[in-house]
Amino acid sequence: MTENRPANPTVNTAGYEVPPELRQNIAITTLDKIWNMGRRYSVWPMMFGLACCAIEMICTAASRYDLARFGMEVMRPSPRQSDLMIVSGTVTKKMIPQIVRLYNQMPEPKYVLSMGACASGGGPFKEGYNVVSGVDQYVPVDVYIPGCPPTPQALLNGLMKIQEKIDSESITKVRWYRKGEIPEIPVPLLGPDIIDPRENAMIKEYTSKPAPVPLAANPQAPATPPAAATS
Amino acid sequence: MYGIGVLKGMWVTLVHFIQTFVDDIKWAGKRYYTPEGIAHRSSKDTKGIFTVQYPEEKLPVPEEFRYIPILLQEEDEHGNLHDRCTSCGICAKVCPPQCIWIVRTEDPVTKRPVPEPVDFFIDVDICMNCGYCAEYCPFDAIKMDHDYELATFDRHVQNIYNKEKLSKPVSYYAKIRPTNYAREEALRAAEAAKKVEAAAAKAAPAS
Repeated sequence: MTENRPANPTVNTAGYEVPPELRQNIAITTLDKIWNMGRRYSVWPMMFGLACCAIEMICTAASRYDLARFGMEVMRPSPRQSDLMIVSGTVTKKMIPQIVRLYNQMPEPKYVLSMGACASGGGPFKEGYNVVSGVDQYVPVDVYIPGCPPTPQALLNGLMKIQEKIDSESITKVRWYRKGEIPEIPVPLLGPDIIDPRENAMIKEYTSKPAPVPLAANPQAPATPPAAATS
Repeated sequence: MYGIGVLKGMWVTLVHFIQTFVDDIKWAGKRYYTPEGIAHRSSKDTKGIFTVQYPEEKLPVPEEFRYIPILLQEEDEHGNLHDRCTSCGICAKVCPPQCIWIVRTEDPVTKRPVPEPVDFFIDVDICMNCGYCAEYCPFDAIKMDHDYELATFDRHVQNIYNKEKLSKPVSYYAKIRPTNYAREEALRAAEAAKKVEAAAAKAAPAS
């Protein structure tokens, strides 16, 4: 019976040979694999939905597809307790400051899954005046799922990709156990258009320049310096 | 007496719990991982667990299910693949989110346009799976695929599909949409026959 079962990927893959008489009693693994196994089967998504993709996400969490099979059934309504942010739907310019704040409030390790065309690249609203064309312009995205909307099975496939990503991480290399603080992402400001604080230097440099003189109003402007023209 | 409602609710839960095992025993191991089992669990008559165990078994998609577009390629008798696409650009014009780019080409000698596109890009992070491209294509060259397992780690590299990634042989289309394929092939054959007839009628009075 045990021979037919698929091999457990966590146990006895550390590269050490276990003698046959001890196989019932001893299992050798690496710390990374144990650590990653614990993390990959307890990814708690944050409970928030933005648009129609959220309906598919709700369907995925319900009993037909059942996220609980992956240990993800605990949808947390607080960013402090969640590991995964499923950006499910169109990200409007009014919503992106809140999304960045929620991302900043999540404790490490944290993952972002961009669900559907709108969240990944703007989708049909890419040219819209009020839509961010891709949430990855603001928060680092780990997995992208194309589709409009992705079916529940496509979302499950994306969640399994998140698990794959968790498996590939090593306890010695992850950013949240390094020395030093992880910088927060500055929250964009909602104005007449969205303002990203990371671009403040560029905006200041651009606005401090003198306004270009229109060519039609002053055809000699490039030839004569402005000081000479006023005197 | 208080608590009757709670007891009634728990009774319903208990009945469901028992029915799960009853149904599993009735199907004797064939309830999971078999097409009949999936069909039974998707039907309204099912009792007990109806979860689709996704990575191991998949809910069959209906024939008209549509996801990302594909480009069809005809295979000739020598095994070479030829695009049905003539790079006319109708799909790129009707595409509501404008996610299609076609690179046209011309013959280096005669300077006349070559009907097959050099490259064909679809940004799947803009595509809204509406199927207008497939509806409007006059050559039945672009069709909607059934494959939904497309999650990637990097969208700028992997999510802009080129012609190589989009192209599929016609046999693949015949497999995923047999009814549509049969109907379209009948129409194409009828049109070809009409063309032959018209050519014959044109040739007859002249002779």
